[in-house]
Amino acid sequence: MSTAIKIRNTNKSYGHLQALSDINLDIKKGEFFGLLGPNGAGKSTLIGVLGGLVKKDSGSITVLGKDIISNYRETKKSLGIVPQEITFDPYFTVRETLKIHSGYFGIKDNSEKIDELLEALSLTDKAEIGPRELSGGMKRRLLIAKALVHDPEIIVLDEPTAGVDVELRNSLWEYVINLNKQGKTIILTTHYLEEAEALCDRIAIMNKGKIVKVDTKENLINSIDKKLIKIQFADSVHGLNKELLGIDFNLNKEKKEIEIETAKGNLDKILKTINDLNLDIVDMNIESAKLEDVFIKLTNLGDDEN
Amino acid sequence: MKINTITFSSLVKREVLRFSKVAIQTVFAPLISTGLYLIIFSYSFQNREVPRYGIPYISFIVPGLIMMSLIQNSFANTSSSLIGAKYNGIIIDFLLAPFSYIELSLGFMIGGMVRGLLVGTVTYLVSIYFYGGAVAHPFLALFFAVLVSSIFSLFGIIAGLWAEKFDHVSIFSNFFITPLTFLSGVFYSVKGLPGIWSKVSLFNPVFYMVDAVRYSFVGQSDISPLISALIIGSFALILFVLVTYLFKIGYKVKS
Repeated sequence: MSTAIKIRNTNKSYGHLQALSDINLDIKKGEFFGLLGPNGAGKSTLIGVLGGLVKKDSGSITVLGKDIISNYRETKKSLGIVPQEITFDPYFTVRETLKIHSGYFGIKDNSEKIDELLEALSLTDKAEIGPRELSGGMKRRLLIAKALVHDPEIIVLDEPTAGVDVELRNSLWEYVINLNKQGKTIILTTHYLEEAEALCDRIAIMNKGKIVKVDTKENLINSIDKKLIKIQFADSVHGLNKELLGIDFNLNKEKKEIEIETAKGNLDKILKTINDLNLDIVDMNIESAKLEDVFIKLTNLGDDEN
Repeated sequence: MKINTITFSSLVKREVLRFSKVAIQTVFAPLISTGLYLIIFSYSFQNREVPRYGIPYISFIVPGLIMMSLIQNSFANTSSSLIGAKYNGIIIDFLLAPFSYIELSLGFMIGGMVRGLLVGTVTYLVSIYFYGGAVAHPFLALFFAVLVSSIFSLFGIIAGLWAEKFDHVSIFSNFFITPLTFLSGVFYSVKGLPGIWSKVSLFNPVFYMVDAVRYSFVGQSDISPLISALIIGSFALILFVLVTYLFKIGYKVKS
């Protein structure tokens, strides 16, 4: 079996608001999958439907081949969902919370796994204290630990790094990458596009309840024909203008550095023109498009369609 | 559907652990009010007998008072647990975990029953000092106590699911539970009520519960304990089915 999650013709509306509009999506087993979209795009609704928090209006969803409605016991055991909102049970310590949660998933003695998670998420020294005394970042890590106590095959992280400091974010990603290497399927929603760009194999971009694009990260980025050229010269540049170059450019104050944004096809002409001027080049940098550019392009496209 | 014992018992454990952590307000505080009733009534009516029953007033009201603490605490446990879970957002823990709807109903219900029965038992132990502690049919008393606590645990679940704020739960207890309990014959014999009022009382489900438990304690009651058992039993069954249905449709917890 190679499909972790199969979503077919899934719809959900809240009154007039179409939160999910005919969603079709396949997520492969072992994939690091990104679900991106602006606020209100429907990412959390989709995850809610997957986990049984939200009732879909129509369509079907299977998790590892099992239907999420008729086989919810098994699908819920295969899923570890880290919700976006920080929640905690004020009555119980970190360890108690994880013990109780293991029990919910039918695991009687889970102390080994609990210790491993506490260690991996740097919560070992907080194990015996109540969640009220935890900082925001620690509460978030407790949420992650809760979602992983039953060793799920598919891990869904809904905005997991919101409000988590940089150092912690890195150790968190290290842990998640490791889980992915062990064969776990990871689904990530995030606002930090650099995170998605660094981590995900494939990405779905959602906008206004629709999936506007699903592709590999490389294909998505290549779909934008944009290069950013930065050239630093030894001396001030004279004689370079728009007519000569055939394209607009930015020159910095000292006139020693230019920035040109252009399509791939123009690279040759630009470089030859500069070469003809006999300028001394100190440094040169050509950047490709970023996921952010794709994101902006696709989500604006969604706006135009409506 | 099969019941997964670990999944289900974890929920019961969670519920019991939750109220144990705040035992001062969940177990000991209710004892104070019941203790006060016992002191006041045993002093005020020390030489009074209940008409037609021919027993001291204090022996008459002890079963009623035990019922009252049982009812209030079973209800308070499930209702506050659920509204608290909604308020803290951890209600999603119960939705994301592989609970069957019956496991959710049973788990919350039994958690509330444990607290109700615990406070009820301690109330009984305290009342021994005031009336001697005789129980005519102890197993029957236990049977009815279990049934009644299950009913009010289930009521608490409905209230907790329905409520959107903590205030809403007190609407339930102030407008339904308290009046129905006080008018159920905890403090008086319903048969002795004038005219229509003794008939009206027959529509109060709590009356049958108090009356049945009183039968178990003193061997006498206003109506046959068998009728009460049937009414209470069907009531419990209907509520259980209703609560399981509410969990199934995700009443006010799933969007």
